[in-house]
Amino acid sequence: MAGPAHPEAMAPPTPGRTRVAPPQMPVTWWSAKRIRTYLLFDATGVIYFLVAFVAIRLVDALGAGPEAWNAAMESLRNPVYIVFHLLSLACVIFVAVRFFRLFPKSQPPMIGPLKPPPGPVIHAMLYVVWLGITALMTAILAGVIL
Amino acid sequence: MADKTIIITRFDPDQDEKPRKQEYRIPCEDHWKVLDAVNFIKDEVDPTVSHRWSCRMAVCGSCGMMVNGEPKLTCKTTLSDYGDRVDIEPLANFPIIRDLVVELDGFMHKFESVKPWIIRAKERAEDKASRHPEKGTFIQSAEELGNYKQFSMCINCMLCYSACPVVANEPDFLGPAAIALGHRYNLDSRDEGTEERHDIFRGEGTVFSCSYANECSEVCPKNVDPAAAINQAKFGAVIDWAKGLVLPRGGTN
Repeated sequence: MAGPAHPEAMAPPTPGRTRVAPPQMPVTWWSAKRIRTYLLFDATGVIYFLVAFVAIRLVDALGAGPEAWNAAMESLRNPVYIVFHLLSLACVIFVAVRFFRLFPKSQPPMIGPLKPPPGPVIHAMLYVVWLGITALMTAILAGVIL
Repeated sequence: MADKTIIITRFDPDQDEKPRKQEYRIPCEDHWKVLDAVNFIKDEVDPTVSHRWSCRMAVCGSCGMMVNGEPKLTCKTTLSDYGDRVDIEPLANFPIIRDLVVELDGFMHKFESVKPWIIRAKERAEDKASRHPEKGTFIQSAEELGNYKQFSMCINCMLCYSACPVVANEPDFLGPAAIALGHRYNLDSRDEGTEERHDIFRGEGTVFSCSYANECSEVCPKNVDPAAAINQAKFGAVIDWAKGLVLPRGGTN
């Protein structure tokens, strides 16, 4: 089954001499397995949008004084917030893993006089940097350092 | 041998208001490719069916069609991999001229716009001398060839344009094959046209319109990996932008 694509998709700069039917695309394009992963990747943007609201609320509470801050911290213990943040964490991990999987493709064939390292090495470097930064942030937030 | 129902999209610009489906029940050999079934219908059942094909060996790029909703090179797609009913449609995202034949002018226009030829912007006297047959023509090492060879294997079958969700929604998007081709010339050690292609690659509807769905690379029958070309071009654009911020004259001489 095919449905309409953008009516001007792949249109010639000047119309041809014969009448053409407008471009079509499969109506079930979103249900293909590969596209589902991509759509899920895009849909995580909604979660980050909501996370931004939570962050703005916390900044606002920080500016309003200790009482407002403590109340905001208390409200984050609500199970709804905990589930939301676990969902956000899952989204971040999903996007990071997809990004890391595709990242080696974006490397130019030469970086100056050198070839970029093989894909698995780039993957390993990305994960080491990611885990390293996460550990550093955790240590700072837990008061272990600084 | 087994009978299959082949459903072909028909469109006659002189008679049909819009594309319609027509079913053909035909005997299919086990070794047939999808193109064999369409050719059988054209030769033995209904000579009015129109489609493009030529080499039958995945080189000419003519026989791209949608097979059960997926862009496929039909000479390379085995019919027995599908069930009893096989739906064959013209390539998605292209205007339809007739039946399975799509309008190519828009694609050719995008293709031409990336200047897919070697530009010798700063041709020097020694270049002219090196064109002498005894000295070789623009000598290139195997490593330099390896930098772009993958992107030069495109057969212009346009499957990537049919698979790309951005092409379906942004008519101005240059598209995977055209960007991969332009990038191929930018990577070519003999080419000096990167500056000339700069605006073509960094403007509206170019590399940054790509949302990295990676569908173009998934459907490419020649493993060209246009998504890699597009994202390498993005990477280059970001590096150039950063150089422009921190280096005098953007790091250029």
